[in-house]
This record gives sequence, structure tokens and C-alpha cells, in this order.
Amino acid sequence: MNPFYFHHRDVMNRRSFVLGASAGIGAAALHTLFAKDVGAAPLLDDENHKTGDSHFTPRAKRVIYLFQSGAPSQPDLFDYKPKLAGLHGTDLPESVRQGQRLTTMTSSQASFPIAPSIFRFAQYGKSGQWVSELMPRTAEVVDQLCFIRSMHTEAINHDPAITFFQTGSELAGRPSMGSWVTYGLGSDTENLPAFVVLISQGSGATGQPLYDRLWGSGFLPSKYQGVKFRSLGDPVLYLSNPPGIDGVARRRILDDLSQLNHIKLTEQGDPEIMTRIAQYELAFRMQSSVPDLTDVSDEPDHTFDLYGPHSRKPGTFAANCLLARRLAERGVRFVQLYHRGWDQHAELPERISKQCDDTDQASAALIRDLAQRGLLEDTLVVWGGEFGRTVYSQGRLTHDDYGRDHHPRCFTIWLAGGGIRAGVSYGETDDFSYNIVDRPCHVHDLQATILHCLGVDHKRLTYKYQGRRHRLTDVSGNVVKEILA
Amino acid sequence: MRFLRGVLFWKTPHQVSICQVAGWLACGWLLVGCWAQAASSDDIDFQRDIRPLLSDACFQCHGPDEGKRQADLRLDISEGAYADLDGRRVLVPGDPKASHLFLRVTHDDPDQRMPPADSVRQLTEAEIQLLRKWIEAGAEWNEVWSFVSPQRPALPKVEDYQWVKNPLDNFVQSRLDQAGIQPMVEASRETLIRRATLDLTGLPPSLDEIDAFLNDSSPASFQRIIDRLLASPRYGERMTVQWLNAARYSDTSGYQMDGPRQMWRWRDWVIESFNSGMPFDQFTIEQCAGDLLPNPSLSQLIATGFHRNHRGNAEGGIISEEYRVEYVVDRVETTSTVWLGLTMGCARCHDHKYDPISQREFYQFFAFFNNVPERGKARKWGNSIPYIKAPTTEESAALVQLDNQIEQVEQRIVDMQSDTNQAQLAWVKSLLDGPQVNPASDVDDPLVKPLVHVPFSETKQSGTADGGTVDERWEGEPKLVAGRIDEAGEFDGTRFVELGNLADFTYTDRFSIGAWIQPHGEEGGAIVSKMKTDSENRTGYSFELVNGHLHINLVVRWLDDCLRVRSVDRLNPDRWYHVLMTYDGSRLFKGVQLFVDGTSCPLEIIVDDLQQPFKVPDPLRVGARGKHFRFHGLIDEVRVFDRQLSSEEARVLATPETIYEIVSLPDVERTENQRLKLRRSFVNFFGPEAIRRVHQELADLRSHRRLLYEKVSTVMVMQEMEQPRDTYVLKRGRYDDPAAQVSSDVPACLPPLSEGAARNRLGMAQWLVDPENPLTSRVAVNRMWQLLFGQGLVRSAEDFGSQGDKPSHPLLLDWLATEFVNSGWSLKKLQRMVLSSATYRQSSRTMADLQEMDPDNRLLSRGSRFRMSAEMIRDHALTVSGLLVERLGGPSVKPYQPPGLWVELTLEESRYVQDTGEDLYRRSLYTYWKRTVAPPGMMILDAPQRETCSVRNSRTNTPLQALTLMNDVTYVEAARALAQRVLNLVEANDSERLSHAFRLVTSRHPSSEEIAVLKSSLEFHRRRFESQNDEARKLTSFGDSVVESAVTTTELAAHTAVMNVLMNLDEAITRE
Repeated sequence: MNPFYFHHRDVMNRRSFVLGASAGIGAAALHTLFAKDVGAAPLLDDENHKTGDSHFTPRAKRVIYLFQSGAPSQPDLFDYKPKLAGLHGTDLPESVRQGQRLTTMTSSQASFPIAPSIFRFAQYGKSGQWVSELMPRTAEVVDQLCFIRSMHTEAINHDPAITFFQTGSELAGRPSMGSWVTYGLGSDTENLPAFVVLISQGSGATGQPLYDRLWGSGFLPSKYQGVKFRSLGDPVLYLSNPPGIDGVARRRILDDLSQLNHIKLTEQGDPEIMTRIAQYELAFRMQSSVPDLTDVSDEPDHTFDLYGPHSRKPGTFAANCLLARRLAERGVRFVQLYHRGWDQHAELPERISKQCDDTDQASAALIRDLAQRGLLEDTLVVWGGEFGRTVYSQGRLTHDDYGRDHHPRCFTIWLAGGGIRAGVSYGETDDFSYNIVDRPCHVHDLQATILHCLGVDHKRLTYKYQGRRHRLTDVSGNVVKEILA
Repeated sequence: MRFLRGVLFWKTPHQVSICQVAGWLACGWLLVGCWAQAASSDDIDFQRDIRPLLSDACFQCHGPDEGKRQADLRLDISEGAYADLDGRRVLVPGDPKASHLFLRVTHDDPDQRMPPADSVRQLTEAEIQLLRKWIEAGAEWNEVWSFVSPQRPALPKVEDYQWVKNPLDNFVQSRLDQAGIQPMVEASRETLIRRATLDLTGLPPSLDEIDAFLNDSSPASFQRIIDRLLASPRYGERMTVQWLNAARYSDTSGYQMDGPRQMWRWRDWVIESFNSGMPFDQFTIEQCAGDLLPNPSLSQLIATGFHRNHRGNAEGGIISEEYRVEYVVDRVETTSTVWLGLTMGCARCHDHKYDPISQREFYQFFAFFNNVPERGKARKWGNSIPYIKAPTTEESAALVQLDNQIEQVEQRIVDMQSDTNQAQLAWVKSLLDGPQVNPASDVDDPLVKPLVHVPFSETKQSGTADGGTVDERWEGEPKLVAGRIDEAGEFDGTRFVELGNLADFTYTDRFSIGAWIQPHGEEGGAIVSKMKTDSENRTGYSFELVNGHLHINLVVRWLDDCLRVRSVDRLNPDRWYHVLMTYDGSRLFKGVQLFVDGTSCPLEIIVDDLQQPFKVPDPLRVGARGKHFRFHGLIDEVRVFDRQLSSEEARVLATPETIYEIVSLPDVERTENQRLKLRRSFVNFFGPEAIRRVHQELADLRSHRRLLYEKVSTVMVMQEMEQPRDTYVLKRGRYDDPAAQVSSDVPACLPPLSEGAARNRLGMAQWLVDPENPLTSRVAVNRMWQLLFGQGLVRSAEDFGSQGDKPSHPLLLDWLATEFVNSGWSLKKLQRMVLSSATYRQSSRTMADLQEMDPDNRLLSRGSRFRMSAEMIRDHALTVSGLLVERLGGPSVKPYQPPGLWVELTLEESRYVQDTGEDLYRRSLYTYWKRTVAPPGMMILDAPQRETCSVRNSRTNTPLQALTLMNDVTYVEAARALAQRVLNLVEANDSERLSHAFRLVTSRHPSSEEIAVLKSSLEFHRRRFESQNDEARKLTSFGDSVVESAVTTTELAAHTAVMNVLMNLDEAITRE
């Protein structure tokens, strides 16, 4: 008898190889975000300091974050400034600008002529919230939304600003919000990744680039990184079998592989082999669960009507909103959408109209759809960009045309769903939509609030790296209690 | 006894006795790393047990950070820990009850108890007991282990010397002895050669190599393998991958647009350095400060690319200084991680919370790296300054050869000088004697041939270099008046001339624009432009006169993305000037030159930040910028060239006299420019053939050299500004919030710079590798250990500070570190020694009991076994399939990648264009690395993103990896190539072929059980493909490589499917 011989069941019975009761999904749990953490409490602090439970009663189980990359213009969409009407073309008063730093794209501009929005605003819903005519469908659901009109950030350029929003630091190397959440709360699905990313290109302009780091796991183990679902080719990279290998052949290959790996496990004793076997099985299940998710042919026509005509075209924001709902239904923890094309330094009126055409109906539809299905209660939806835009025109200002530069000092985002008060606005900017005059909300405050809705104390969700306990909100952030339901 | 079963079954040459096991049980060291449960007071080690605990739980508020320190209590140094604070002593050796530290951590009142209730870190009961025992035992305090220089330890005694092969094993076995564990048996010979070959070359051994080793039973045979591997050029490629991760090497700049850069010459320098066995101290000094060495060689300059591998931000609108500071911070963080294993970056905004590094010291170290003549705003496309041309050996040789040829021809011209002079005299005489030539021509030098020429003449047409005519369209009535050369165009602020879409240059083109002008009044205007002015951006180029100053504008966006310069001096109105601008395509201020009347004129910068191409479809115009800023005065003889004119040519252009007019002058009255023009005309155009030929030869050689030189890759390097920048402590780390000024220095917790050392990067680099430096050698050998064993002796390879992991074998680490220094910092010698040890050669087989005793193999109770890194897995597949194309170095290549990945995240300009042919099969370290969208196959297999320094990879096991290895064309094609490879064994039967393939993939023979599985698998796929021929054809034509048709498609497909099984085996992607 081989002195090293022991059957793999012996391995499985060992406490150190926990969760091995059924080969496959359980054994994988230790090693993958895909597997549901069967019987395991959520991991809320780093490995040395498990608290063993949520910090608070969670109001949301999952997040759908509709990131509007490039920075939508708050004075044209949500931040209504009627007093600007008579100031068209006049120079932004120094008392407003206060010498604050500008990007070098406009800092040497000879003047800063005020460009009031050419779009009409009106009050909507029982809550009477102001929304521009660019967002008619969003206007119809304002009673479900909470606007934060006093967002502000530190970065003044896209890359650091979006990195800051998504990872809590302007510099590369930190985990993204979705990674923190899946690291903290684990997965609620057995056949899909816990953190999914969907990307769409706006029709308003060539979008600002995005970066893998925005959904990267930084210093967290790479299993927490977001998995990008694509509209082109395989929805998940390398999901499809190669040409000539069908499901039957793949199954046979996996069976043979598993058999050989078991022989090796018996000989070798390395529990990692067991995990590998399980991961191959999980991969096989994903080969059907992912297409099942992305194949929307089972959706009735009225769904597409709700989300709008773009929703039938894969890769659009509308199609991604529909996918986001399907992912939420299947227990995916964090769904991160990115819609590019909001960076309107010039020809803003024309370009922003196109962007709104891409996004307005679908965003509103997602809220309605989630609500109808009872999912809005425990799904937190967030809509917004990385900073705002200047009230003054970048470049030439005419009666119907203008551009706007980056403006980190104030902008508007909205939230809806799990844990958030509906039909309210928070914070206020001055008459120029330039400075915040009431209840500012910093990016870290928003992050803290999102985590709070998920039942997580942002100060206690930490990970030790390079000797220090890091967190998404670095060393600051306050939960915005006023907007909590 | 269940517990012992595995051990007792363990038939090894070194039997574990029951006694030993029992002793081990009694000792109670159940789990390594769980010291708190185990320690009796004798066992407590301050460094191992107490300091980390204090650091983690207390230093946040009672550590090195002065700004955050509470109650004046400092626990990271002994002075603070033994302090008497108003009669309350922090620690009273032997008396926990008198020690306030202990009283506070055990206090009943939650408001008094430490750490505070809202702290994330709380002490466990076991930890509190540990503190109590430590205080009872005398509360002995000593320094952070890693800040004390390693002393060469004596070799520990072991119970049985039979196993020990070299000193390293003493340390390992003595530790195992303590734990009562016997070392593992030696791995099989197949495993050994596979392990060593993978470890040292990143590739599996060939079957011939395996067979030779199996047939050579001499004791020195393994040693010979090691030597062969260390001498292989593949060794350098293997070692380089780790260094690229540490150095955050990439083929793109990172941030937003993430445009391309060229750093591969630095990467090749690293390969070459590893292969040549460059000592690590030299390796360090050349990379940190090669430019500061006396008479640095090209190679030493290239080496400094290390500190330019950081990301560079080229996003429009950024504030340059903000990012320049980030780059310097990155250098500090990378240097401290890679060489010192310190997290210095933590001290950027405040004093370090755990390690004795103050914020001030951070900026003192920062000062070493703060004097690079660089910009915060990086180039969007291409290398950012400072960079140098870095010819390869072949290119250098070709350049030297051309230089020699040029020199020879120049010498011939010198030798011919008196003959030439005489011939020229004769020619001049013949001109004077003969009929007048070229009476209307102002320039007779055919070398000065413009792309576009607008003569403003009654008799001459505008034309192009190839003899074509130019359609001149005047806005307003054309008006010609008497000019510099015959007539000139008169511009009065209303009219201008359009010439069509000519001279469509962009920012990488060389070009020149010259004209005669006579400004009228002070109003000036544009002389020549090709610019789109209906938007604010004013994209294009223009050459203008503004308030008497000549302006040269190369513009994408007028305010920020442009190169705009102007002459320092002013022109006077109402007189003729010849003005010429030249541009060398470098996108740099220094690439623009202005000549007035043939003389170079100083320029000053308005904006120097040209980032993008500026082609526009607008017509070339004379007398206006777009349709605006129209000229006031006369313009004559406009010439646009598609090259950068030389200063000689500028002089010739500014000489209006015809050759005839010049020769008509007495020799003494001719100006220098006239002489030059005459000479050039003669030797290039009018002289005897022998003279013209040699000048033509010279021109051709120079042009050839220039073209060759232009193709030479550049590499970004370090340089030192003559006047160093002032360095300040930056409050909260912010670039725009300076506090006290500091000068360069090293942290006080480490040995000082040696006396007389330069206080610059060179001094710093020499300090890093001073044998007294307690960290560098340890950190380096630890990384080497990590490479060979999968984890370092110090697991936190990036952090040797007080929050880092403690070494599993502290004495071994110190022994290796001193050995490394003593060997002359030779990595190869060190690796040879480690690979020769019994420790390295252990089998990696494990079993449940051993797993429980030493779960992470921290005791080295067996060989290590771990999944190979991303690039090794791909290289392994390419090797066993025979697809691998081995070629050392060169520009990065673009192998298979699913389409659309770049475009969906970035802009249209950056589209991934996959390579073809051999470049699909190069080793993975040559794969093009775009930081923001890194190669997906590499990322899925845990390669670091290379945005920042990384010295330790995570190693996960996910279904995405399974999908990649099963379905990515890279691996499916490799499976097919492997199938072809075994099908080429014409004499063999199924079993033999399968066995052969199995060996190629795993380096060992399959068992009969394994062969049975494979045979059955083959049968299944055969049957399937026999009935589905189309499927077989599809599978076998996946991938670019050509299918060899020696066997039927069915056979090839069936074998491909089985090879797909083999290449996905755990064993195929594991180094064990």
C-alpha cells in the first residue's frame, strides 16, 4: 500500500478543510467569491478581527450603481438656478469663484462668462423636486428618489476623481467599493460572481476612458475583483467552449480532468487540488448560468417598452439596466454600471441631450421595475458622476451653445431604494451652483452611507495591508443620517 | 492515536520516533503562528510576541506619530515604555499590577480600559495574559529585529546530520527538531528537475533533459543541472518577471488615456543583468543612480529607467506640480518597498503610525528623488522627458559604422579642398565670362527645395516640390508690389491667400516655414498658417508676427494643449527680414528654432505642452491665421519644407542674391552667407561630377544615419538638475501646502549615510547596499526565497516593519543575508546554494496530519507546492506544445486577446492590434502591458496590474481561471499543437502517444490508471468527431498556426480534446 495513500474523503473530513461536506460548491467557498458562503457569517473586519455579524440591521442587500462617467452637468439636469437667467454672459463674480483652483483647460481663459442652462426646469411629483426637461422619465419617479445636491469631491480631473469615487483614494492600488462590499458581505449567489461590472458608451461624446482598477480588488485578494460582463463576444471572458467542443464534450473533458485530479490528490494530499476540481465544476455551471442571465429573450415586450427601445440593443445603458435587474434578482451583491460620454467641455446642449436620451428612460425604468418586483426595498440604486461642471462657459458662449469645465465643488447625485428616504433632497448650493451653502456631502460620506445601508460600519470594514488597517473611507466619512429611511 | 497515524505510516529514511512525537505534543506547539496560546513565560520573545501586539493595538495613539500621540505615552521605544508619567510607571518589570500598561488593558471601567471601546483592534484574553507573563518575566525590551544589522549566526545543532546537505539545512532541521517533525523525503528525480527548471528558467524541462538526469545517478548530477540552468539565457527572463512587477514596468503610461511609452530597453537591461550575474549591489546602484556614476555608460543610463517606470498623468487640465509630486512619492514608496521592505509611504501625510519614520524623514528621503528635470504633466503618447536614445547593440554597431563612413567622406572632402577651390574659381570665372544664368532665381542651391513655394511674382507660379502647381486663391483683390525678390504680395489686413490642403503636418513631423516679410506698422498678423479657427481650440499651426515678436504656434487646444513660443527680440517695421521657423517633430520647446536673416534667435515659452496630433483639413494660408489675424505688410517667397532645415540652409535661404550677383562681387566683398551659398551651389549642383558625387555621398550617409537614428527606441531615464529643487515637508502630503524646508537624508532609525557620501541618489544607492544596512540584504534574500518556495521566510515581503510578519526562521534569514553579502551580492551563488540544500529537495507530498501540524508549511516540513504564476502557465503551455518562439528582448508583442477590450474602456485611438506569426508565441514577459486594461489572461491568473510596485502576488483559485485555461485560444491552440506533436510519432500507438504527451506536460510517466483514463477519453472524442466531422475541423482550425495534415482531422481533434484535459491538470499548472 502506498504509504501516502488516503482517500480524499479523509481529507474532506478534516476540520482544516472545512465546508467540504459536499464536494464542489462548499469546498470552493473558502477560495472564491462565486460560491455562497454556506453557513458562514459575513466577514466584516479583516481576517484577524471577525465580528461575525452585520454591524447594523441591513436595509439593503445589494447595490446597483449607475455611474455616469465624465461628470454630468448639475446646472443642466438637477440643480435649478433661476437667478442665473439675467446673468447670461456676465463674468462669474470673484466673490463666488474665490480664487479656487481650476483645471488648466480654463484657468488661463480671459473671462468666465456665466452660462445659464438653456433647459427648462419644473417641479415634479408629490415631493415637488426640480428636474430639468432633459430628464422627463426620471422626473416621473422623483417621489422614489433622494437627491443629494451638495456632493463635493477633491479631485479635479477624471482619472483621479473616478478612482477616488470608486476606491476612496485618488491613487491606484486600493480596492473598489464593490470589492469592499463583497469582501465584507460575501456572496448571495452560487452560480454568478458577487460583483459584476457593465459598461456602455454614451452617444453624447467619445467617453472618458475607464480602467480595470475601478473594479479591481487592490490589495484585497483578487477573488474580490469585479467581473466585467461584456456585450461583445463572451459575456464573461473565455466563457464559451472553443469551436468544436460542445457541452457534452466539455462535460466529458471535465469528468476526465476531475478523475485525473483526484488521482493526483490521493497521491499528493494537497487540499488545493480539491479546490481546483470544485472551481472547474463552478466554471461549468457558469457556462449555463451566465448565458441564462444575459439571454433576455424570456423578457416580455412590456419590459422592453418600459426600459425603452435601446434596451433591445446589447451593450447600451438601457440593456445594461435590464441586466442589472436580472443580476439583482439572482442575488448578485454589487452591480456596477458605467455609462461614458458626459464630459461636455463644448457643445454641451447638444451632447447632453443625447446622453439623457441614453439614460433617462432606462434609469427610471429600473426604479419602477425593481419596485414592481419588490426588489427596491432591499436594493440600493445610486446614480451620479465623479464631479460636477462649471456654471461658466468653457470656450465660446452663444445664446444656445456653451461648454462646461470640471467642477469638483458641487454636483448632484441621486439614490433610491433600500434604506434611503424617498422623495427628498439633501444639501443646497448657492445661486450659481458653484459653492455649497447647506449640508455638504463628501464622497467619503456617500461611501459611508452606502455601506451603512448594507448594514456595515464603514469604520469597521477594514483590511490590514502594509501594516495598516485600510478602509474604503480612509480616515473620514460620516453617514448621512438625514437621508436614511 | 488517530492523530499519529499519518506520521507512523511515514516510511522515510528518517523515522519519527514515538518519543519525538510525544514530546512535540507535550510541548504544545500545535499551530505555528498561534504563539499566544502556546507560550510559557520562557518562550515569550519580545520581538515575536509582544512588539507586534503593542504595535497593532497601541501604536496608533501611542506610537511614533507625534501628531496623534495621546497622553504623552509612547510605546514604540523603550524610553517611553519604561517612562514614569507623573508617578505612574508604564512598565514595572516583574510586576504587572504596578505596571500602568497592564492596569489599563485590564481596567474594569470601559472608559479607562485600553484600547478604547471604539477601536477596531481589541485585545483578546490570551493576549492580555501574554502581556502579564512578559511583564512578570521582566518586560525585556529590544529593538525592532529588522532594524538591527544581521549578524552571522552560528550553525544550529541538529539531532541527525544525515539529512543535512548544506548549512541552510541546519537551520531548517533544528526548527523541525523543536517541533518534533522529521523532514520529508527527497522528491522524485522527475519532480526535482521539473522544479528546478521551472524555478530557474520559468519553463519546464525537455524530455531529453529529464532522461539525461534520470540516467545520471552520480551525486553531482543535480548540481550540474543547477549550473546549466543558471547559465541559461532563460534564467534572466525568469528572474526579470518578478523585477518588472516590483518596478511597475509597463508599455503604457497609466492614468486616463494610458498612452504608449517605450521602456523595453530598460526591461532588456534587466534581463541582461540577471543573465550576466551582475552583483545585486551594482544592480541597485546602477538602477538608482547610474546617471551619477563617473562617465556613465549607455547601459548605466538605461538602468535608471527603473525610477521612471511609475505612471505618468497626461490628462488635459491637470495641475502639473500635483502629479510631479506623486511621481516622487512613488519613487520613495517603491524604493522603500523593494530595497528596505518598509512602508515609508505611510509617513507622507503624518509620522508613521508604527515604524520610527517621521513625516520629516519621509521628505528628507523624498529630496533624493526630487531633482529630476521632469514634468508632472506627462506625454499623452510616447516617452516623457527626460529620455535618451537607447540603441541596441546591433543599432549601435550600425551607427558606428555609418559614423566611420561619414568621417571618411568628410576627410575626403577636406583632402579635396584645394582641388575644389581651384575648380570653383574656374567655375566662377566661367560664369563671369559666360552668359548670365538663373537671373531671376534667388536661391540656386537645389538642396533647399521646398514642398510648397509661393514666389509672389508676376512671372513665376506657386509650385510644389514635385513640380506641381498650386492653386492660389486670394481672398480680396490680389495685389503684387515690388518685393524682396522681384514682386511681393501686399497685405493690408483684409486680403490673404489660400493654397489648398497642403503641408498637412502633425506634431511628429519635421517641417520648416520661411518667408521674406516687411511688416507695415505695428499691427503684424499671421504670415503662414494651417489652422482651424472656427472653434476656441484653434487646432493647427501658425507662424505670426504679434507686437513685433515672431510667434510659432503648434496647437491642439490654444490654452493648454499646444507648443507656443515667441521671439525674445522684436522686429522693426518697414524693413525686410527673412524669417524661418523649423521644427524637429519632438513636441518639445527645444525642437523649435527661429532664424531671422539666417541667424538663430532666442525664443521664450508661452505654453510648452503639446500632447496630440494637430492635423486639420483647413487650407494652408498666407497672410492670415484661419481667416483671422490678417497680416499688415509685404510677404515674399514663402517656402514650406517637409523637413527641418539646418542652420546652414537657413543662411542660404536668407541670402537673396543670385549666384550670378554673388560671383559678380569681388571676393573680399562677399558676405559669409554669400560665400556659403556659392560653395553649396557649386559642390552640390554646378561642380564637376567627382566633387558633386562625394558631397552627394555625404548627404546620403547623413540622411541614412538620421533615418536609422530616428528609429532607435528611446527610454526614460533619471537625470539630476544642476540646481536641485527645494524640498519641503508637505502638510497632509499635499503638493500645494509646503511647511519646513528639508534636505536629503536617510531615516534616523537606520545607519546614517557614510561619511563623505554624496547626499544625492548615488549616496543613497550606496547606502542601500552598505553591508551595515540591516534591511536590503534581508529583503532581497527573502524575495529570492519567496520565488523558490512560494512564500518568504518573512511572509510580508513588502513590510519588514513592526506591523510586518516575523520571520519563520530568523537565524536562517540572517545567515542567508550575510552569505549573500559575503558572496559579493551574487544572486546566482545564493540560488545555487539554496537549490543544493536538502530543504529545497524535499518532496511536497503532504497528508492530513502534517497539514494540521504545519498547515502553511511555515516550518518547511515538506517541499513547497504552488500554482505557477500567470506568465509561467502560458509559457509552459507554449513550451510543451512546441509553439514557443524564443528570442531574447525587443519591443513588446501583442498576442491573442479577445477583441474590443481596449476600445470598450478607452478611446478609439487605442485599439489593440494583435500581432501575427511568431510574435503570438513569445514568452509572456514580452507581452504588451497596458496598465489600465492589462492582458486579461494574465490578470485572471493573478498577475499584478503594474500600476504600483508589487513584490508579492496573490495566488487565487477561481472559475475564471478554469474558463481561461479551457477556452482561451492560447491554450486550445497549444493543445492542438501538442496533439500534432505526439501524432508525429508515427510508430507509436495510442498509449505511447498519450504517455508521451503526459510526460511533456507533467515531466513524469503516467500511471496505468492515468493512462486508462486518457485512453478512454481519446476513444470518446474519436467517436464524437468521427460522427461530427465539422466539429473536428472547427476545433483544429482554432488559432493562427497552420494545421499540419499528416493525420485525419478527426484524429487531430480527438487528440486535441485529450490534450485540453492534460493541459488543465492541476499538476500541469503547479510547481511541486
